[in-house]
Amino acid sequence: MALTEKHRPVRAPDRGRRTGPPDGRRRARRSRMLPWAMIAPALAALLLIQGYPLLRLLTLSTREFGPRSLFTGQSDFIGLDNFTRIFTDADFLAVLLRTVVFTLVCVTLLMVLGFLISHLLMGVSPWARVVLTVCLVLVWAMPMVAATLVWQWMFQPQYGVANWLLTRLRLFGDMSVYDWFSHPTQALGLIILLTVWKGLPFVALTLFAARGQISESLYEAARLDGAGTLQMFRHITIPIMRPVLAILTILEVIWSVNSFTPIWVLTQGGPDGATTTLGVYAYITAFSRNEYGSGASVAVVTVVILALFSVAYVRRLSRQGDVV
Amino acid sequence: MSTPTTSSPARRTPARRRRTVNNAIAMAVSAVMVFPVYWMVATALKERSDILSAVPKFVPWPISLENFTRALDKPGFWTFVRNSLTVTVSSVVLSLIISLFAAIAIARFRFAGRRAVLIILVLVQMVPAAAMVIPVYLMLRSVGGLDFLPGLVLTYMTFVLPFTIWTLRGFVDGVPVELEEAALVDGCGRFQMYVRVLLPLLMPGIVATSIFAFVNAWDDYIFAYVIMKSQDNYTLPVWLVSFKTSESVDYGAMIAASTIFSIPVLVFFLLVQRRLVGGMTSGAVKG
Repeated sequence: MALTEKHRPVRAPDRGRRTGPPDGRRRARRSRMLPWAMIAPALAALLLIQGYPLLRLLTLSTREFGPRSLFTGQSDFIGLDNFTRIFTDADFLAVLLRTVVFTLVCVTLLMVLGFLISHLLMGVSPWARVVLTVCLVLVWAMPMVAATLVWQWMFQPQYGVANWLLTRLRLFGDMSVYDWFSHPTQALGLIILLTVWKGLPFVALTLFAARGQISESLYEAARLDGAGTLQMFRHITIPIMRPVLAILTILEVIWSVNSFTPIWVLTQGGPDGATTTLGVYAYITAFSRNEYGSGASVAVVTVVILALFSVAYVRRLSRQGDVV
Repeated sequence: MSTPTTSSPARRTPARRRRTVNNAIAMAVSAVMVFPVYWMVATALKERSDILSAVPKFVPWPISLENFTRALDKPGFWTFVRNSLTVTVSSVVLSLIISLFAAIAIARFRFAGRRAVLIILVLVQMVPAAAMVIPVYLMLRSVGGLDFLPGLVLTYMTFVLPFTIWTLRGFVDGVPVELEEAALVDGCGRFQMYVRVLLPLLMPGIVATSIFAFVNAWDDYIFAYVIMKSQDNYTLPVWLVSFKTSESVDYGAMIAASTIFSIPVLVFFLLVQRRLVGGMTSGAVKG
């Protein structure tokens, strides 16, 4: 019977026992090994290209690995010196703070706007829903590299459509030769705008899908009891969607911290490091300054911060039954 | 324009009016959201003189393909297309084969360590690419894998694996076990059963998953940028970005090239849109 137990389908626990293959000890051992044999190639690849580099990152962060080490392969063990160095470095602390602010702003905007759009999708005619969904999917699908280059073009100082529009609207006076990318706050603002724009469809469509699962009868009952829109939000929509909202928030935090391409392509972290976040800082330290050891320690700090969120994510998933 | 939501005549008018307002808001949101996509295509289709004009032209007319021809004529364009396609397609095919086995194992067997495997799959996706690129670079460097397309294939394959396993697992879960049981009872071998029963039913899921994996590898910039040093080995994203660092940017050609780069992905997404939204809600997916 142990055999049938092992073969029980994971997702259908109450569909009745499976008619197991004929008993026999050899067969049993083979079945026990079979799933591992099927997973082995995937695990091997993951260990080689994700596990080993991760370990390497850890050991690298405790070493003085400079340009010379690249050729000699020699590097000195310096313990936690890289970490004490970065944590006493004003630049690094500014980067850390900036990453937190960037993430906070991006995630807040994404969640609030995404929720509003998903709500909007519920209350429109079918044709309007199709139009909005298609527009969202197009944005979602656009490759990040292409989106970033288009952003560059739209905010080009002389011929960009954004400056022309802003000048026409007379909001900030003459913007016709304004160079967004040479102003620290504005450059970061543009990157945030790009990140939010690009990430919004995923949040909105996921929340819309989740919202569709809530039975309309709940709302009808609430309406009969005289509940207003805000009350229905507070007492029906938000509580039921809390797990999805939590998972999306965690994912967006992780993705915002990880964001690299838009920043690197738009500003390379400039002007004067004003748009450098953790990922970009790790990259610059390692590859532009050839300080692979300290670059690795910056990366390790990033990984540790994200690990906290990842653990929260996994716990959420298992509570939902996705990681059984 | 809209259908009344309730039959009671007293509520019909306000409900309908609210819906009309919502539709209007939805159209405004659509227009704002889709504008950059539209602007990419519109710019690509403009004449050169219309691109660099003080007053932007919102409708590209007369339509001109000169930006596209200029982009295609850039030295090496077809090499970059070929590099991108080779790397992306090989990594997707390899990761699909590997992950199909793993996904079936995870979905259909309950074995010791299964939970650990699942958690590893989720956690591994969270490690930032900007952090991993340092050790991967040093690793590939020490084995002579820099500037070598297979090195990139291996990297992409592994980075896509957690996602493809995770999503395929969901699709395998969606296939009723009874079908497999019936095949086994009818005397099918296990392998034969997978090929004849499970695989055909999984096809839509495999298509959706591979498209998503394709997009992930197709759009990667950082690994290709670090690992591929000589221009002959550039992939499309690396080449596209190198466009803008040249002295005077040819915006027309750059945007046309971006359009060419985006079109396969945009088309794929529109085709599998519904399946993606459903599959994403449960899984951990890189955006």
